[in-house]
Formats: sequence, C-alpha cells, structure tokens
Amino acid sequence: MGDKLNKLAAKLLNGSSGSRRARLIPVGGGKGGVGKSFIVANLAASLARLGYRVVAVDGDLEGPNLHTCVGIPRPRASLADFVAQREEDLGKLLLDTPIPNLQLIAATDGNLATPQPTQSRRVHLMRELRELDADFVFFDLGAGTHAAVMDYFMIGDEGVIVIAPEPTSVENAYGFVRAAFYRRLRLAMASHDMRKIVTLAMDQRNDRGIRTPLELLREIQTLDPAEGARFVETMRAFRPSLIINDVRTADDIKLGFSIQSVCRKFFGIEAEYLGYVNHDELARRSVRARRPLIDVYPRSDAAIYISRIARKLLANGAADESQEGSA
Amino acid sequence: MKSISEQNHYEILETHPAATKEEVERAYRLALATYSEDSLAGYSVFAEGDAAALRERVEMAYRVLSDSRMRSEYDATLELEPAEGLPPAEPSAPLVPIQNAFGESPVPLHQDEFTHLDDGSGDFDGQRLRHFRIRCGMEIEDIARVTKINPSYLRFIEEERFADLPDSVYVRGFVTAYANCVGLEGKGVAASYMKRFDKGEGDRRRGRFFESR
Repeated sequence: MGDKLNKLAAKLLNGSSGSRRARLIPVGGGKGGVGKSFIVANLAASLARLGYRVVAVDGDLEGPNLHTCVGIPRPRASLADFVAQREEDLGKLLLDTPIPNLQLIAATDGNLATPQPTQSRRVHLMRELRELDADFVFFDLGAGTHAAVMDYFMIGDEGVIVIAPEPTSVENAYGFVRAAFYRRLRLAMASHDMRKIVTLAMDQRNDRGIRTPLELLREIQTLDPAEGARFVETMRAFRPSLIINDVRTADDIKLGFSIQSVCRKFFGIEAEYLGYVNHDELARRSVRARRPLIDVYPRSDAAIYISRIARKLLANGAADESQEGSA
Repeated sequence: MKSISEQNHYEILETHPAATKEEVERAYRLALATYSEDSLAGYSVFAEGDAAALRERVEMAYRVLSDSRMRSEYDATLELEPAEGLPPAEPSAPLVPIQNAFGESPVPLHQDEFTHLDDGSGDFDGQRLRHFRIRCGMEIEDIARVTKINPSYLRFIEEERFADLPDSVYVRGFVTAYANCVGLEGKGVAASYMKRFDKGEGDRRRGRFFESR
C-alpha cells in the first residue's frame, strides 16, 4: 500500500512537467490556533491585490475556517464534495471571494464519520491541485502531523510553517519538520532496509538511540554510502520556510533566527526565515469582521509585514525561475 | 556534512570570515540566546548537556573572534587547512568563504537576512530604524553602550523628536553610528534620515519664528 502515492510524489518532487504551473504553497505548523488560516487568507489576498490569480484551498476537513477568513459565510461547495466523490473536477469547487483575483475552495460540511480522503483520493486531489488554473495555490493544512497532512506538505514547491512564539507551538513545529523530513526521506531511500531504518528513527524512542536527522544520516552513511549520498541530496532539497506570527518583542523576532540555527545544527536542515507578523489588535478585529486584514486595514502594522512576506515569496519564485533557466 | 564538533569558530557562530566586529557581536548574542538553558527555540530539541556543550563552543569562538589579534592568528590556521602539503598561501590572499553543511554556498550573512525581512524601499525614518534594531535583538541601551551616544538621543531619533535633538552635524553622526550598529550602511542611512530631519527642523524653526511674533 502507498506505492501509487509514492510514485506520484516522486514524480511531483522531480518536477518533470515543463509547462507553466501554479506555485503550490502548503502552509502547516503542527499546532492549531497559531494563525495559519489568518496568514493564508492574508498572503493570498496580498498577492491577489498585486494582480496575481490566487486560489486558497482549505485542507482542514475537520476544522475548516478559511472561508470565514476570506469572507464567505456559507460556502455552497466544498472539498468535502471531492472527498465524497460527488465532484471529480476540483475546478468546479472554486468560489469567488469578495477580493478580486482570489478564489477559494472551502472545506465545510465534511462527512463527520469519514472526513479524511482515502489514499487514492488523496493522490487524485494532489494531482488536481497542480492543475488548477492560477498563479498561486495556497493549501491551508489542518493541525497535527497526520499522514494526509504530511503528504500535502510534501508535494508543495515550498512548504511554509507558521509558528507562534510560545513553547507549545515551537515544540509542535519541530515535530512537524521532523515528520515531513522523514516521510520525504523514506521516499528517497532506494533500499528496503534503509527505509526500515528511517521508519525506526521516526519513533522518537527507538532502541538505536537515533534522535535527530543528523544522527540518522551518520547511521545510514556507515551502513550504505550510496544511500547516504541520497540522504544528503534529500536534505539539501528540503527547505521549509518559517513565519513567526503574533510577535510582540525583539526576542519573538529573534526566535525565527534561533529556530533556523537549531534546525541547522541539530537537524542538518536549512530552513528559511520568511518573515514575521506583528501582534496587532487590528488583526483580531479583521477576523471579527470576517475579512482579510489586508482588505480592511491595509495600512496596519501586521498588514504591512504580511505584504513584505508576499513580496518575498514573489522574489524567491523569480530567483528559482532564473536558476532553472540557466541550468 | 559537518557535525557540530567539526565546525570552525565561524560556523559555530554562523557568521563568515569577512564578518565585521559588529556582525560577530550580533552573531554571538543570537547564539547565546538560542543555546541558553531555557531557550524557547531549543529546549525541546536539546538533550541533557547539549546546550551547555554548545555554549562552551560559542564562548570559545567569541573569545577568539572578538579579539583582533587572536582572530588573525586563527584565520591564518584556517587558511592553511585546505592547503595541506602545499606551500603556505600568500599572506594577502583573500579569505575563502566558509561552506555550509553541504560544502557549497557560503553561510548567509546575518546582515543579509535582516535586510531580507525588510522590503528595502523607502526612507530610513525613525520607525524603520527601530524595526532594524529590534530585529537585531538590541535594546536602546545596547546601542548606547557601543556608540557612547546618550540613550535619550537615540530614543529621540527613533521617535523623530527633531526639536529635542542637537544640531544636525551631531545628529548625522548619531544616525550613522546607530545604523552601523544594527548592520546597516551608515552613510546612506544617515543621508536618508537627515532629509527628514532637515525638513522637520525647518518646520520647527518656522514654527518658533511665528510663535515669537
């Protein structure tokens, strides 16, 4: 089981298709309540205001609220229709939002008995997400590190992790990074034995005492140098981005750099600090008003910082493109 | 891929061989915060003794890199390293940028990262200066200590209380020093800030003139 998914994921990771596709940006973070949907709604609205065609997809079938953040009170169609196979074409679930250029796929009215899609349905969903006609597709993931969530995070071009400056959120963010990396690594390993060791390391209390990706690398390098090389390759390609939300102090801002440092030193993973968003009373008010902050209070502190992150995403994309062009 | 024990002083502080004194200072402060015992960024990752061991390495790296004589001696040993068995490098040869964990591109400058978080456009007004200071994790008092400028003046600069600041010659010097301290290019920043100052100051003079009438 899972082979089909693995094949698709491997294909997507290698990015063989040369046609111009939407940039797919999954946004996760492990913990709920850190402002993922707020960030997604506002980054999406921010890019839409700049004239890009953006789709925001709510991937949280068990706790959907992205529709509220972008100002659609009662979506008439939702991802749940796709999950339940009532609708095969994801494009038909697109809803216009009050913001020009921004469309939404909601996740409301999921089947409470079986909210998550089956594995084959997940594969289908990921393919369809790629096919959406847009410049950017943001995928708002639910909380936790459920297999489905990690798969979605993995297929994106550039996964974003939203963190609040508090212990619970930071802990879960590391758990999230680890889970995402190990899953990706398991796909990259060619030999069954090495894949088994990765699976073993995913248990934090494993009896080999492997605690971090770096320690796992040492283990695999000694056992099988060729797999070790593949490991390093995977590690290099894995570059999650970080956003610190709701910062109040200089220390909160520094947290992003500190997490970057810990990831580098203890995990061997290069994370990118995409930016931070100030704590702003107006942000809460915009959620109350059920509209993106960018739309209601474009001059607010938090809105300005979110726009900066949006511009940085644009700049990163441009840099990637020129790199591909020269390769 | 280098483990922590194999990293050199620059890699430990996550800075680079061409780093200025200020950059080394900033990198050190960040490392101290990151690897303190109760660090928010680290406590859930560190095992017993991890943070202490790292702090020791950080302190050692800082002791060497913050002392210009010890640093140049250390740099000399670094230059020799890759050239084992070969004649010693030219003393004037430029330093090779250090490599990251994958042995490729140089470790990004902290300064670059700070600038990346800013969109890099517009005037350097008081608020923008303050944002840069906060990003570096510095308090007004830290800047005052390094620059020997009265903290009240630094505060007035951020708040753009032009009327409370001394003559523009002094203010230009203050802003230059402030900007250098937070990793910005002092001269350019001061030029941008002084445009605002001169305008504000002009308004103030006019205001006073009318008042006195």
